[in-house]
Amino acid sequence: MPTQAPPKGIGAAARWARRAPLLPALIFTIAVTQLPFVATLIISFLQWNSLAPENRGFAGLDNYIAVITDPNLRSSVLTTVLLTASVVLISLLLGLGIALLLDRKFRGRGLVRTMMIAPFLVVPVAAALLWKHALYNPEYGLFNGVLKWIFGESAAQPDWISTMPLTAVIAALVWQWTPFMMLILLAGLQSRPQDAVEAAFIDGATGFQVFRYLTLPHLRQYLELGGLLGSIYIVQNFDAVFTITSGGLGTANLPYTIYQTFYQAHDYGQASAAGVVVVIGSILIASFALRAVSSLLRDEVK
Amino acid sequence: MKRPHRTVAEIVTVLIAAVVAFPLYWMVLTALKPEGEVLSTSPRPWTLAPTLDSFRRVLDVQNFGRYFLNSVVVALIVVFFALLCAFLAAIALTRFRFRGRTVLLVMLLVAQMAPVEALTIPLFFVMRSVGDVAPVFGLNHLGSLVLVHLAFGLPFAIWMLRGFVAAVPVELEEAATLDGASRFRFTWQVLFPLVAPGLVATSVLSFIHAWNDFLFAKTFIISASEQQTLPLGILAFFKPDQNDWGAIMAGSTLMTIPVLIFFVFVQRRLVSGLAGAVKG
Repeated sequence: MPTQAPPKGIGAAARWARRAPLLPALIFTIAVTQLPFVATLIISFLQWNSLAPENRGFAGLDNYIAVITDPNLRSSVLTTVLLTASVVLISLLLGLGIALLLDRKFRGRGLVRTMMIAPFLVVPVAAALLWKHALYNPEYGLFNGVLKWIFGESAAQPDWISTMPLTAVIAALVWQWTPFMMLILLAGLQSRPQDAVEAAFIDGATGFQVFRYLTLPHLRQYLELGGLLGSIYIVQNFDAVFTITSGGLGTANLPYTIYQTFYQAHDYGQASAAGVVVVIGSILIASFALRAVSSLLRDEVK
Repeated sequence: MKRPHRTVAEIVTVLIAAVVAFPLYWMVLTALKPEGEVLSTSPRPWTLAPTLDSFRRVLDVQNFGRYFLNSVVVALIVVFFALLCAFLAAIALTRFRFRGRTVLLVMLLVAQMAPVEALTIPLFFVMRSVGDVAPVFGLNHLGSLVLVHLAFGLPFAIWMLRGFVAAVPVELEEAATLDGASRFRFTWQVLFPLVAPGLVATSVLSFIHAWNDFLFAKTFIISASEQQTLPLGILAFFKPDQNDWGAIMAGSTLMTIPVLIFFVFVQRRLVSGLAGAVKG
């Protein structure tokens, strides 16, 4: 999409007028999220453990060395990547399928749509509790209850969380995030130019052809948007990991590890260093991701 | 005239919806079950003796109504300002070209990725200083929660709205300008209604974002219990010996209701769809 290039020779005032609408959002975000980040940066070079207050002082790179050589942290990086990638991909695919199903008129569509979206409306802590207690629990959970209804009293009663901890967390998160993806893709589907679709059908295109050559290219931006926003949130996910497995059994992701360093080990310096490492990693991944999702920025490039 | 495969698709849709929503039914059911039945080893998908006891235990907690109100107030203020700021920012980012625009976009994204857990301690000190200048936005006041939710929600809101603003064809703006509409008029009378579905989607997300928060409420509201928000109210039912699951599920149900109402209230706008708006 062409944007208006500033005409040559305009004054500084006009240039600032273009940016003015950005300012309220920008100032807020910088003040509240960036300043604390600077503080985090400073703390990351300090030796500061509130359990040993007399030892406070400059630590140089010690915290960073501790972070990089910590095997727990390295495995939590892997867990974070695995968790984020699987949740985003699975919920995007499911969301696409459901959005396609919902993108037609039928009786009760409003109700069905609300039912589909409902999981996203549940408070994450509550949703995680629900999965852990009401669904996964080996004794009185729904899943094993269903197994009993189907296979009788002798049915296998697996302990879902301890046999497949990461899958358990992923399933709960997919349940919560599929509606979000569906919402974005549904908005995308409904912004699809209807006349082109109708013309294609009149010209004898099959439903699949319309999907492949009209709908999918149109949805690409929305898929990318959903993937990007979903990744940002799931990278940070804390509630589900904390509630369902308490970070045990190899499910500790980065936010959880940082939380532990902060609130249990009270090592502010090392937790801050880990936070800084995460942010740097995020910047690297984000710049790669942004290059990959070029179509999001295509209007900038043109 | 209906083709058979459409009927099949509809049945499949309804079935999927039932499976998706079933855990929620289970949540409400658990809240309604009498205490002995909740921990039964052969769970049944119904209850013969529904009771409001669990809800009563939740509502009896001191200040629950107050917590509820606090949560609503914080979420609504955040939604209003997030929409206003993000709408303006999205216009600037899609419609104007200026130096550093792409850098800004990436920065907004990165701001969102910073792990909140690591920022709470520095933020705590920031809020304490803010409180010395403007007590309303300091520790132990709802204002501090509004500030952080707004700041952490904005980048997301801007990214979300950006796509919706970009989807409005520039030709429309040119036509409006030719017809003599000022930029201000175009923004509020043409762009604003066209982006409405995007605004609705963004408002739902901002609302949920603020409503769900647990960490900040726990960190900033330390000694003023009348300023607490809802998620902390549920904490009262976690006990070292035996968690009161009925009450926890009842509390969760009560917490979900406002979000559901908010969503149902705005969902018609959400589905009116961009396509129809642009064509009309």
